[in-house]
Amino acid sequence: MNREEAKDILLLYRHHNPADESDTSVAEALALAKRDPELAQWLEMHCAREFVLREKFRQIPVPEGLKEQIISEHAASRRPAPRGRQLALTAAMVVAMGLSAMAYWLNNRPAADDTLPIYQSQMARNALNPYPMDKLSNDDGTIRDYLKGNNAPADYALTAGLKQATLSGCAIEGWGSNRVSMICFQTGKPLPAGAKSDLWLFVVDQQSVKDAPVDASLHIARINRLVTATWVRDGKLYFLGLEGEATELGKYL
Amino acid sequence: MAESLDFDGLVTAYYGMLYQFAFSLSRDEAEACDLTQQTFCVWASKGYQLRDKSKVKTWLFTTLHREFLGSRRKHNRFPHVELDLAAADLPVVAPPSVNRLDSALVLQALAQLDEIYQAPVALFYLQDHSYNEIAEVLDVPLGTVKSRLTRGLARLHQLLTSTQTHPPT
Repeated sequence: MNREEAKDILLLYRHHNPADESDTSVAEALALAKRDPELAQWLEMHCAREFVLREKFRQIPVPEGLKEQIISEHAASRRPAPRGRQLALTAAMVVAMGLSAMAYWLNNRPAADDTLPIYQSQMARNALNPYPMDKLSNDDGTIRDYLKGNNAPADYALTAGLKQATLSGCAIEGWGSNRVSMICFQTGKPLPAGAKSDLWLFVVDQQSVKDAPVDASLHIARINRLVTATWVRDGKLYFLGLEGEATELGKYL
Repeated sequence: MAESLDFDGLVTAYYGMLYQFAFSLSRDEAEACDLTQQTFCVWASKGYQLRDKSKVKTWLFTTLHREFLGSRRKHNRFPHVELDLAAADLPVVAPPSVNRLDSALVLQALAQLDEIYQAPVALFYLQDHSYNEIAEVLDVPLGTVKSRLTRGLARLHQLLTSTQTHPPT
């Protein structure tokens, strides 16, 4: 094996991965590097470069709330599967015994997966994925009437900035047993093909979201592709988002 | 078998690395989230078929890659970049210059590779997959994995060198 052949082999060598060293040709190339100063220098530089590149890949940020979303949606989608009489009997017994406790639990305490990060993540996905607009209108009264008529929050308070924004319509989303009003606006920027809005306000009962803020302070965060603001007012949780920068969002707060 | 593996624990252990792999391939946060979530949905419905629990990680990455290929067939939006087959004599990127790059630029360079090199290169850097594991995930022979890695890494280094020489304006 000469130096160039060794370089070709060591191109795939990861010095932090013991499995790579078990390859006989790699071991031979490494042995050559110990005897060849020029190859040793090349190897040192190669390993340093590979370490940095590896770190760059591992620095890819993972969205906040993704894990909780996966787990909660899995839990929500699980259905009892037919697995024989024993399981069915056990399930029936569990249902019978826990019915009272479950009713109490559902009525008095948010589910463990009804947390604020999951709510925010789910609403952000609602905004970013194609969605049917339940009511197309640029009239505030028409939108509130529609929401009220469908038992969704309608007595929400718009910020001064949102009062100036152009309405485009609304939709009603689900959050557990609660309804979420999704009020859609247009910022005036060119919209992607097929899109009808690029600024979204979600309003839901504050009590339905575990860990919702308890004070009136404003919480700014980037969730999915949205920059978002979350706040509470008069028992309602407000979640506002747009694709852009925080300064742009600030115009609507 | 799936029932004996705790779903929440499995998600906790692997969702991050799966997302990073998905993002390396798609460069889109929403799509990467969907791919990651879909992978666990498939696990929830079909994971019980896996008899060897030690293969869970490979199974998940394989599933995600298949999901990606399936979605990609619907959205054929990746440019084809011809690769110079001569991997030798390519420039070496010095560590300091690589260090000045951020993850986005590295992924941008990855995106410029021919599609067949993107997944093996991402798996090579993420989570230290062995060559055998990469071969299993991609469902190609071991020799193919090594040749694709050799060419893919060489091309990636070349692109990063070019990025350093001609930074984006």
